[in-house]
Amino acid sequence: MSKELIRLQNLVMEFDGERILDDINLYFNDHEFLTLLGPSGCGKSTTLRIIGGFLTPTSGKVLFDGKVINDVPPYKRQVNTVFQRYALFPHLDVYDNIAFGLKVAKLPKDEIDRRVTEMLEIVSLKGYENRRIDNLSGGQQQRVAIARALVNQPKVLLLDEPLAALDLRLRKDMQNELKRIQQATGITFIYVTHDQEEALSMSDTVVVMDKGRIQQIGRPEDIYNEPKNAFVADFIGESNILDGVMLADYKVRFFGRTFVCVDKGFAPNEPVDVVIRPEDIDIVPQSEGHLVGTVTSVTFKGLNYDIIVDFRGFKWLIQTTDFHAVGSTIGIRLNPEDIHIMHKSEYSGMFGDYSSYSAEYDELTEDAGDEEE
Amino acid sequence: MKKTNRILTILIFIFLYIPMAVLIVASFNTGKDIANFEGFTLHRYVELFQDAHLLQLLRNSLVVSIISTVVATTFGTVAAVGIHNLKPRMRKVVMSLTNIPMTNPDIVTGVSLSLLFVFVGTRMLGQRDALTFWTLLIAHITFNLPYVILNVMPKLQQMDNSLTDAAMDLGCTPLQAFFKVTLHEIMPGIVSGAIMAFTMSLDDFVISYFVSGLDFVTLPVEIYSYTKKPIQPKVYAMFTLLFLLIFVLMVAMNLLQIRADRNKTVRRSKVETKAMRTFRRVAAGALACVLLVISGYLIFFAKPQEQITLNVYNWGQYIADGSDDSMEVIREFETRYPHIKVNYSTYDSNEIMYSKLSNGGITVDVIIPSDYMIARLISEDMLLPLDFDNIPNYQYIDESFRNTSYDPENRYSVPYTWGTVGILYNTKYVDEADVTGWEVLWNEKYAGKILMFGNSRDAFGIAQYLLGYDVNTTDKAELQACADKLLAQKPVLQQYVMDEIFATMQNEEAWIAPYYAGDCLTMMGENENLAFYLPESQGFNLFIDAMCIPTCAKEKEAAELFINFLCDPEIAGANMDWICYSTPLSAAKDYMDPETVFDPVSYPSDEILAHGSSYAYLPEDISRYVEGLFMEVRNG
Repeated sequence: MSKELIRLQNLVMEFDGERILDDINLYFNDHEFLTLLGPSGCGKSTTLRIIGGFLTPTSGKVLFDGKVINDVPPYKRQVNTVFQRYALFPHLDVYDNIAFGLKVAKLPKDEIDRRVTEMLEIVSLKGYENRRIDNLSGGQQQRVAIARALVNQPKVLLLDEPLAALDLRLRKDMQNELKRIQQATGITFIYVTHDQEEALSMSDTVVVMDKGRIQQIGRPEDIYNEPKNAFVADFIGESNILDGVMLADYKVRFFGRTFVCVDKGFAPNEPVDVVIRPEDIDIVPQSEGHLVGTVTSVTFKGLNYDIIVDFRGFKWLIQTTDFHAVGSTIGIRLNPEDIHIMHKSEYSGMFGDYSSYSAEYDELTEDAGDEEE
Repeated sequence: MKKTNRILTILIFIFLYIPMAVLIVASFNTGKDIANFEGFTLHRYVELFQDAHLLQLLRNSLVVSIISTVVATTFGTVAAVGIHNLKPRMRKVVMSLTNIPMTNPDIVTGVSLSLLFVFVGTRMLGQRDALTFWTLLIAHITFNLPYVILNVMPKLQQMDNSLTDAAMDLGCTPLQAFFKVTLHEIMPGIVSGAIMAFTMSLDDFVISYFVSGLDFVTLPVEIYSYTKKPIQPKVYAMFTLLFLLIFVLMVAMNLLQIRADRNKTVRRSKVETKAMRTFRRVAAGALACVLLVISGYLIFFAKPQEQITLNVYNWGQYIADGSDDSMEVIREFETRYPHIKVNYSTYDSNEIMYSKLSNGGITVDVIIPSDYMIARLISEDMLLPLDFDNIPNYQYIDESFRNTSYDPENRYSVPYTWGTVGILYNTKYVDEADVTGWEVLWNEKYAGKILMFGNSRDAFGIAQYLLGYDVNTTDKAELQACADKLLAQKPVLQQYVMDEIFATMQNEEAWIAPYYAGDCLTMMGENENLAFYLPESQGFNLFIDAMCIPTCAKEKEAAELFINFLCDPEIAGANMDWICYSTPLSAAKDYMDPETVFDPVSYPSDEILAHGSSYAYLPEDISRYVEGLFMEVRNG
């Protein structure tokens, strides 16, 4: 990665005595695609608005190229934003929306024309110059919003849940499109979303946030495979999280059995959270299983079945391509690399139990996430 | 159910619009009677555009409305943006505070503004006439502001806040963001706020009445004081035009709204060409320029020129104004004395004129109060002694109108008109044998067709003549007896009237009424069945209205010049022919319509006149007592 562009130092934000951001420390590199990921109210949009200059932090510093820019107003920052609901100007047509920033900067007319035309091509909206904004589809509006921001050639582009209002298919297309644009232009993207899949598939770096604090920073693979605590493990994908005890390096005991694992560096006999991803579990005949349980529910998901298995009263989610009837007894095997050990945290015991699992539950939480700030 | 609803809706519309329809029809009527459509004419409109005075008033109204609308819209929009940026709790508080002036009764707003202006103007700035065009303008801006804020606020709240953020993100300073984005978004609110402010300002009477001086009067304020004569049909024409103006504005506003809504829901023609858009912008710009030029023009011409301004404060419709082929007396004066510009404003009762004067804050050079009011003004040192060297035409005033009871030494007043109070009756329905004196107003034979004075002084006067008391009695027992007498009259009365008498007597809805002789003559001219009777044996009121100069006058010499001008027999003659009241200048009769001059109604013989008596100024407590008794009679 190349040089550092933006740094947030001990950033604290309070509204009416309520702490929205709690001591955020974060840096952003040039040309990077970084995603702030978290549930609603976690502070990700607030962080973005502070970088954009629309909010002034209660304390802490925002540095741009090494200079403090806390008090620099938005119109003097080399940063542009794509807003959640696009915020296109309804009284202007597509061309004038995109040209807005250039006209404010009083660039020569032919240069404006050249750059707007070029941008229309990048976002595949050639021929739409004179359309009114309210005559465009959601995806087209989205692309105008991106073009309007990018045409100013900012050093950093801030995107605040830009795809939240689009339907699933369009969202997938736009994800690819955005990634392509980012790679083509080399502009730093700071992307805010509550959709973990979006975050993982697009980003160079993912920052997981909750309750105004950063929970984990890392590459998408690391975040997924090595979650730092129960919150991250649960928020990124599905996880079965169990109480265990780290007997020694590479040895963890849970469910009354000792398993071999790949983790080390814990205190002897330290109580830990054990994470097992549902797709990592191998189903075997009862006799060969480390553990034996009863199937209590089966949901068809297309690619696989989500089955809930009762192990001595604790219910696990297992993803499998084979059908297992409700009531049947199955055995499972856990390989050492499938077991991930985490230190206990404030989130321990809050996630990872599928006793009250239902297929609809997932969708409900996803919808609720749309209401971010 | 649906059908009933529709019928109800139609009824409501009829109810709402019928008054306007009547007015519009009346403005095209050849006859003067609203109840009787004689034929179609545009003559009223021609008359209207020939009436310089009315047009001046209309221009005044438009000046105040346009300027106050422009200013209030600008400040209101800025204020709304400011309020919008407050924290939600503060915003609510401030919004309710700005809404209060709207719900506040106009009269309270008017009086408090007037007090403030007079206080600041006279006490703090030491100006004698604190109430001017500027105070009127400030008042209008003040009461227009909340309407603009109320219309702009919802648009700001509907607006996506991230639009301003987006503009700033793209390099706009907050001010640029406002002009380039916010302004476009809230424009419909601004326009509807401006239209509402304009209409409010145009038709305001109550507040304007209290805060305007006499040098700059708006249309509603002047029309309100038209009580000496019935409202002229050309005024209907003007109202029709005003109604149409407001109507067009409202329709335009609604069309704008509908178009804005349609843009949001239905997809219009996909592409608006650059040419169309340019045209629209040019048109809007041109319209704005025209408005600016008009208001600029109006401001420039509304300012009084560099010359003496003479403020004349008279009863409404009490000077010949050029209508009905009469002389336009004020124009004539201004032609003869070009260095003087007359500012003519009007009142509708002695008491209102008195309160305007005693409130202070205005400049008045000439007033024309009635006898008893002159006595009161003299006793309160509110009149300046006249310099009769400047009024040589005083020589024409008849001997019998000198050394009057209200001004025994002829120091403060010059008689303008005089008249009697008698009985007007309809010979078609009333047996002349019954008309023998004031008691005919109590005659049960004509129950339901009798009218009575709606003011205490004249009503009690009639009871006093009938009971044989002194008209200026201060004996409370006698006054109580008069009240009893008036109460006994109520069962036969149709109603208490002042101005309404013109319509009701001419239409023959009522048959008998007491009224001023001059007005009776006017009515007799309209309906030949009407006749006049003066109860000489019982006594009757003989009143004189005379010209005086109040202590707040600034141009005393010009005022005396004006009084002298009105005493010129030729002018007085032309003037009296129009007013129909009697002149105290016998010399003027040579220039008058001979029919009036020899009419016993206007000019009864000296012998008869000797039975008349005039009202004196009653002590404050007595006039209040009489007022109280009369209220009880009317309500009891």
